[in-house]
Amino acid sequence: MSKNLTPRYIIIGLVLAWALLTLWPSVKYQMLSPDDKEEMRELGTLESLENDIIKQGLDLKGGIYIVLEVDLPTLISTLAINKDTKFERTISEVRNSLKENTQQNFFTVFANSVSGNSLRLPRYYDVDYGAKPDDILASLKEQADDAINRVLEILQNRVDQFGVSEPTIQKQGNRRIIVELAGIQDSDRARALLQSTAQLEFCLVKSPEVTNDILSQIDNLVKGNEQLESLVASINEDYEDDESELSVSDDKTVSISELFGEDTEASKDSSDTSVVVDQNIFQERPFSSLLRALGNNIAVPEKNLYTVKKIINKQEVQDKLSLGNGQFLFAPDAEKFSTNEGIDEKLVYMYYLEKDADLTGGVIEEANATIGGQGSSAVGQPIVLLDMNSEGARTWSRITGANIGRQIAIVLDKKVHMAPSIRTKISDGGTMIEGFAGMDEAKDIAIVLRAGALPAPVDIIEERIVGPSLGADSVKRGTNSVLLGLGLIIIFMFVYYKLSGSIANFALIWNILLVLSVLASLGATLTLPGIAALILTVGMSIDANVIIFERIREELRKGKSVRAAIDGGYNRALTTIVDANVTTLVAALVLYQFGTGPIRGFATVLFWGIVISMFTAIFVTRTIFNSFTDRKGLKKLSI
Amino acid sequence: MRIIKDTNINFMSQYKLGALLSGTVISLGIVSLILAGGPLLSIDFKGGTLFAVHFEEPVNINEFRSTMSNVNIEGETFDFSKAEIKLFGSPKDISVRIPYMDEEPDNFAQKVISHLRDSFSGKVSELDSDFILSIEKVGPKIGAELSNKAVLAIVSALALILFYISIRFEFNFALGAIAALAHDVFVTLGIFSIMGYEISLPIIAAFLTIVGYSLNDTIVIFDRIRENIKSMKRLTYSEVIDKSINDSLSRTIITSITTFIVVFILWLFGGEVINLFAFAMMVGVIVGTYSSIFIACPLVLRLHSKSQ
Repeated sequence: MSKNLTPRYIIIGLVLAWALLTLWPSVKYQMLSPDDKEEMRELGTLESLENDIIKQGLDLKGGIYIVLEVDLPTLISTLAINKDTKFERTISEVRNSLKENTQQNFFTVFANSVSGNSLRLPRYYDVDYGAKPDDILASLKEQADDAINRVLEILQNRVDQFGVSEPTIQKQGNRRIIVELAGIQDSDRARALLQSTAQLEFCLVKSPEVTNDILSQIDNLVKGNEQLESLVASINEDYEDDESELSVSDDKTVSISELFGEDTEASKDSSDTSVVVDQNIFQERPFSSLLRALGNNIAVPEKNLYTVKKIINKQEVQDKLSLGNGQFLFAPDAEKFSTNEGIDEKLVYMYYLEKDADLTGGVIEEANATIGGQGSSAVGQPIVLLDMNSEGARTWSRITGANIGRQIAIVLDKKVHMAPSIRTKISDGGTMIEGFAGMDEAKDIAIVLRAGALPAPVDIIEERIVGPSLGADSVKRGTNSVLLGLGLIIIFMFVYYKLSGSIANFALIWNILLVLSVLASLGATLTLPGIAALILTVGMSIDANVIIFERIREELRKGKSVRAAIDGGYNRALTTIVDANVTTLVAALVLYQFGTGPIRGFATVLFWGIVISMFTAIFVTRTIFNSFTDRKGLKKLSI
Repeated sequence: MRIIKDTNINFMSQYKLGALLSGTVISLGIVSLILAGGPLLSIDFKGGTLFAVHFEEPVNINEFRSTMSNVNIEGETFDFSKAEIKLFGSPKDISVRIPYMDEEPDNFAQKVISHLRDSFSGKVSELDSDFILSIEKVGPKIGAELSNKAVLAIVSALALILFYISIRFEFNFALGAIAALAHDVFVTLGIFSIMGYEISLPIIAAFLTIVGYSLNDTIVIFDRIRENIKSMKRLTYSEVIDKSINDSLSRTIITSITTFIVVFILWLFGGEVINLFAFAMMVGVIVGTYSSIFIACPLVLRLHSKSQ
């Protein structure tokens, strides 16, 4: 060991200065009051400060972590033209197979299914004449890759407008997108914002005669089908149970049959409280009996919604619907209605619509949320105003002109927001959507309409929400544990190794400061497992010093001089320390490689904790020891 | 101050005791694992929904359970009373785990939570941010992937370590170290199964950290063996190993104490989220220290005498 320690001191000094400098913004940020932060936000200086501080993970700050996956079967099916039942069957086969074994690759399954069903791909995709199925598959794959990038872009756009600080949106692999929204807890809103395909459609509502006709057809289907009949009957049983308790008789509400001009016997007085089956017509019209009439429209009591949807989704019912080129869609939310007896009931509007949209959201140029003004149908209600491009405005004008008096449904993501009657021809393309639960929802929908439609629907396959109180609690407990652990170790080291222990303690504190400053400068995120790793580092990093001190003690017991004992101890401990720590480093690297989010946070802290502890133990403490021995020519070492 | 004075314990002659102890603990663990049908996996690996809510005053678990038996979501009635419902660190906090269901309604965790809000209206804070502690939902697809990843992570960590030790020491040492690691992971896994604790993603991280820690310990002893073999040619292999363990015993104990102190504090004060992680580490620190001496070293000795 050279006598001149100055270069070592310079290095140590520089590192210390760097550590304090990088940690300063975090300290400053901690000391800011919420008012100060607001002021800085207005000045625009907060953001640059936030960039320099140690970032907290969602598990500490609270927020939402969502993993989205592009729904490939739907995408591939949307890209197809001339779809027939054979094609639809193949897609649903692929869907089922993927559900059973989730680890399969979509395109492999699709290719197998295509050849299994001897599906001729060129029939369904718009390709050059003579294209091979393999070429088509390759092109579909390319379009799928392209779709995810577009989804990413659109989601980025939406989230930016949503106004969250530091959102992260990143692609994971070829099919997934990870979205992290800090400080947001309303997952309904976040989901709606991310998952909405923003597919806006304008579909004409079928006439009452046609609607009534399809309802009777479904009634007949249900009657002829034991399984469906028992489904409805189970609701009817509930009804009878209630009847015995409450001695109610028939359903009071106007039945769907009445609405459409059929005579029914269901008009006696009664007070139905819970279940809404029109008993008199149940035998005759089992499906219609689940529904209610509301003005000119049909509604489903919320209690019956599940059964109604189940019946509608039956294959035989779907076949009937596609024959009539129609579809049943529902309003987004239930509304409360009071019956004559003053009983509240929650009903969801149901519409029978043309299957094909007359106009889609691609023509939207501008969408803004606002409050409906005087004279509109939604005074004081949140609404979204739409502006269409010239082509859209032309089509819209033609449709509205030709269908005056009919209802047209404004459908967003397969939910009917409103179905106003067309009163006049709209020629400027300006349109208004109402029917939102609140201003937030209207704003979010305006955002998704502006940002554009997703090329394919996305599924949420993982979602983690941490509430702010749990996060704050974790921070408090984590910090306390670090401080307490640190305190105990410091006391232990001092008692056990005396002055040398104090040197190790000094290195230990240094160690923690350095780990934190590395985190700050790497822009790494501190997570709860990261705090655990920090605590672990406190316990484990002292190991290097323990190895050295025990060696020095051994050397001293052999009767060596202080100086020789220190040199010998350090030299012999060196290989041990390196060998022992490399293995933990390997574990940390593997964790980093395989983990996500919080686990990565753990791996990062563990890795740097070990690297830095080797530096402090081997370099920093040795320099201090040497400076002691050099200056005084120590005869005795406090160890 | 010195806790461990110069010792001269004959560890290698006690290997039978070690084998018996480890054998018993591992057998118990395996029996428990078989009875439970494998390790208890969290939703991270199985898919499902886990949420925790905070009430303003303590809530009776049975009352909570009966509330969960009749949850109406969009006209469909669900019975979640068989879900795993337990206290989450305090009598005011309750966590619920619902296994993955085919065709779950959209956003159903939120709907269950709002059902709870209605049912316990007097005991719930107005603010959702005070009521909802956390919600986690993992699809079965992600779950299966994470399991594969976790296994891959542990296997590749072991392979890399085997490789490193083979280079730095001998292959026999690598085998000894790996046996000790496998021992540690099995013991911890068995204890988790006996205690009825779940294996989640952070627990896998704890396992890998245990692997790292236990190795750290093993290598410090191996390092001594390597050093002593050169200088103590007159001793037998078994004596060298014993001498090396004794030489490094002081360090082994002290580092184990310091590490144990911190994970113990984490276990005690770290909070519900980190509790099981800290528990795994506590077990790992003890087992890792033990296995270096009683598993890794005897195995190296065996392998050495066989190759002679």
